[in-house]
Amino acid sequence: MRLRVRVGMDELLKDFLTETAEQIEAVGTQLVLLERDPSDAAMIASIFRLVHTIKGTCGFLGLNRLGQLAHAAETLIGRIRDGATPTPDAVTVILAAIDRIKAVLAELERTAQEPEGDDSDLVQALELQSAAVAASTRQAQQQAPEPLPQSVKSERQTSAQPGEEASPQIRRPETIRVAVGALERIMLLVSELVLTRNQLLELTRRETEETIKAPLQRLSGLTSDLQDAVMRARMQPVGRLFGSLPRLVRELAAEVGKKIHLVTEGAETELDRQLIELIRDPLTHMIRNCAAHGIESSAERLASGKPEAGTIRISASHEAGQITINVVDDGRGLDIPRIRQKAIALGLADEAEVARMSNEDICRFIFAPGFSTAGAVTSLSGRGVGMDVVRENIEAIGGSISLSSTLGQGTCFSIKIPLTLAIAPALIVQAGDHRFALPQMSVVEAVGLGPGAAHTLERVQGAKVLRLRQDVLPVADLSEMFGLADAENESEARLVVVMRVGLLSFGILVSSVADVQEIVVKPLGPSLAHLKIFSGHTILGDGSVVLILDPAGVAGSLGLQRTTDYNVMAPADLTASSHESTRLILFRAGSGPLKALPLSLVSRIESVASEQLTESDGTLIMLHKDRLVPVLPASPDMMRKTGVHPILVISLGDESMGLLVDEIVDIVDEALAIQIAGSAEEIVGTAEVRGNPVDVLDIMHFVRRARPNAQLRVAARRFKVLLVDDKLFFRDMLAPVLTSGGYDVMTCASAIEALAFLQRGVAFDAIVTDTDMPEMDGYRFAEAVHEQPRCGDLPIIALAAHPSAPVLAAARASGVSAVAGKFDRRALLNALRACLNTEDLANTDLEQRVLTEKAA
Amino acid sequence: MSALALRQTGHAKPLPGASAEQRCFTVIDGDEMFGLPVQSVQTIFRIGGVTPVPLGPADVEGLVNLRGRIVTAVSLKRRLGNAPLRSARGELAIGIEHDGENFALIVDEVGDVIPCDESATITRPPHIDPTRARLIRAYYRLDSGILPILDMDAVFDFADRNRPSVSQSHNNTAMRRNQ
Repeated sequence: MRLRVRVGMDELLKDFLTETAEQIEAVGTQLVLLERDPSDAAMIASIFRLVHTIKGTCGFLGLNRLGQLAHAAETLIGRIRDGATPTPDAVTVILAAIDRIKAVLAELERTAQEPEGDDSDLVQALELQSAAVAASTRQAQQQAPEPLPQSVKSERQTSAQPGEEASPQIRRPETIRVAVGALERIMLLVSELVLTRNQLLELTRRETEETIKAPLQRLSGLTSDLQDAVMRARMQPVGRLFGSLPRLVRELAAEVGKKIHLVTEGAETELDRQLIELIRDPLTHMIRNCAAHGIESSAERLASGKPEAGTIRISASHEAGQITINVVDDGRGLDIPRIRQKAIALGLADEAEVARMSNEDICRFIFAPGFSTAGAVTSLSGRGVGMDVVRENIEAIGGSISLSSTLGQGTCFSIKIPLTLAIAPALIVQAGDHRFALPQMSVVEAVGLGPGAAHTLERVQGAKVLRLRQDVLPVADLSEMFGLADAENESEARLVVVMRVGLLSFGILVSSVADVQEIVVKPLGPSLAHLKIFSGHTILGDGSVVLILDPAGVAGSLGLQRTTDYNVMAPADLTASSHESTRLILFRAGSGPLKALPLSLVSRIESVASEQLTESDGTLIMLHKDRLVPVLPASPDMMRKTGVHPILVISLGDESMGLLVDEIVDIVDEALAIQIAGSAEEIVGTAEVRGNPVDVLDIMHFVRRARPNAQLRVAARRFKVLLVDDKLFFRDMLAPVLTSGGYDVMTCASAIEALAFLQRGVAFDAIVTDTDMPEMDGYRFAEAVHEQPRCGDLPIIALAAHPSAPVLAAARASGVSAVAGKFDRRALLNALRACLNTEDLANTDLEQRVLTEKAA
Repeated sequence: MSALALRQTGHAKPLPGASAEQRCFTVIDGDEMFGLPVQSVQTIFRIGGVTPVPLGPADVEGLVNLRGRIVTAVSLKRRLGNAPLRSARGELAIGIEHDGENFALIVDEVGDVIPCDESATITRPPHIDPTRARLIRAYYRLDSGILPILDMDAVFDFADRNRPSVSQSHNNTAMRRNQ
């Protein structure tokens, strides 16, 4: 509400404030336009009239301070109206005076009192400029011997009045002024009407009586129309926002010393007035960016054959229930290599990832928090708060922002925002016996869980995650989070609603989706407004109240923060991980060199007194959080000592085991390169870590002993692939392909030989086999492999000269995972990666998550 | 009565102490009677469904639909530190608009509107439990006994018990102002 006038305040003053507040904004815009086209007499006249009105009313209301200021401004504007050239200096002073008037008005509005203050500085400056332009007028008059008589001018003024194209503020005589409060009140009542209508519809859903149905339908239709009409009444042309831009650009241009031309289009596009205010800041910021970074200096532009003045073009349009606002500059475009470098430097992506990304994806990095390629910090931009804040603001109102850029030709930012915030479609979800509303604009999909469903909910150290295609998403369990009584058991069919807030994806675990409804969003009262997880509440069709979950709040409660979780990449693939450094925990256990484990495997470190360890059935047992955890010594020659032992707790899904060590030495980041293979079964091999030999333990060995049923893989391990082909030529051709793809390869010349390998217990992660072989073909081989113990789900990729339909059918029938063309190197590697990825994604991803969490 | 009419009466409340005689609306919790400034009472109703607010202040029973308006239900019993309600459903509540927020104050019973003479106030007996005394604006001596008058600012300020007080400067200053 713009006006908060005290009861009893003079009506006249109230009217004055309302009227002036609207017009003062227009003056700033008009002045800037005037500076560009000083011959526009209609505009000068309208500015003069306004200032004159202010001056007159001030005298009447006894507002002396405003009166003096307005008087001085009027004198100067009057000179310009009488033919003086509006010099940039004069315009600047007038703009400053208008700012001061605005500030005084704001204070007046708040307190109904004219604030104390001294304006003599401005009054003097205005008088000085009046004198200066008066001098120029005389010169001009000398040059133009026949100045237009006053009467002719005023004729021009009147003739160029309403609907004049040049004036951005089109005055329509058929509009009336309505207090914002009154409009809000109507909107509120209509919202209530919509709710009541919904309740009625809900009550009569099963009603068959036509005499009730028909008028109810009519009521329903009328309510929708009314809602629509009121929404429209709240709409304002986006020109209101554009109006302040010419002045902004003028000031920016002066500040950066560039010539910038502003073009606005689609000022008549209408938008909810609330939204207009909300996009003001983001838009301003983007224009600042264009002026500071986008547009080149005049010299640079001329050198590259562009017009000297840069252009910022801002256009608004309405399409498909959304408003699109484009901010386009014809500047130098984004510096892709520089952004790439910066992204790597900030650790947002590594070189391999960046190399795979499209230019568009790389451009999106500028929306990452703290991302700025500006070398110097200026007052304009490059202060570290930048496009991420813009993105956040836009997304907070349910909008999105994208950009495209061409080097040397410019950049285009595109904002899409909804028409209104008051009414939004929402998913009504059930959690326990509670219902909540989820704004549909953040919902990506709903994924079914439970027996027979394609997706399962997994737990990492007690936290729920959902494996969805390539991603592992953190899942918020509403029942758990809110401590709701949740009678149903885990096996019951449940849903994860996948949400996306900006670049963050996560899931919300619910019992079911009850409904999809248009809800009227109402803000929470002050006593509940501190709950970040709810954005408001609403009344549903059945009259019940539901809380609206704030997707950003839920993300926050999961610990997803924009600073640490910015990630546009798919998970890094396995082959790349061997070059990355691994965070290792170094410890002493028994004699010999230090021992090491990837820290990602360790979920926590416990200190346990020896009396808390009991021996049972040959192994040590420790009681931890009401659960018995088996504990193994990390080295067979460890002496049992009394006192407190550090125990590394290894989590295996829901189960865990402990590893007893003598002493924790350090945690280091090292590229793990095993140089000597281990001879003892609990040791993978020996690696050099900071100049010392370190034995890297094979966690699988311990897990097999402590938790024979648990499955776990060590991240640093390479995949072993068995290549079966009867022709030496293909073996020689394909083995290097696989090796270079990061796999350890073993070759066999026949299916029989391969089966013999498997029977001897040699383990592989995947088999690549030719289909057309003597004795036993690839399909029969595949069937035979899957009959082997422990090989039931071993991925097999079949090689065929041409993967035609009959080949694919036969492959499917025999249990082959994928078929690749014999000469299609890439298809083979992709198929292999796909098989092993889906098999191993959970472990590697979880480990990476653990690592990043530890790092953060 | 329409919501609009109720609102207007709420706005037009006279300044406290403006008149020598005030009228108080009485409510009963257990065997105790309390007074409310009559102008803060908008409506009396029975609560239908209650939507709990997870993670919300413990003294907030939940949200209630009062004829299309969402109000925050607060139990007087719980505010006074007496045994909490099992469920607010079906309970008697008083609709109160306070500081721009709509509340439903759940009480056991409602009593009469009685006149209270400003001159009949007594100083607070010093040995009243401070957590309970905090909710009371004044004590009136009546023929039938002593009537404590609820301080709406204190009744609907949950900062002290449910939230870190530093973050809630708004309500705290309101409280300090009244003390």
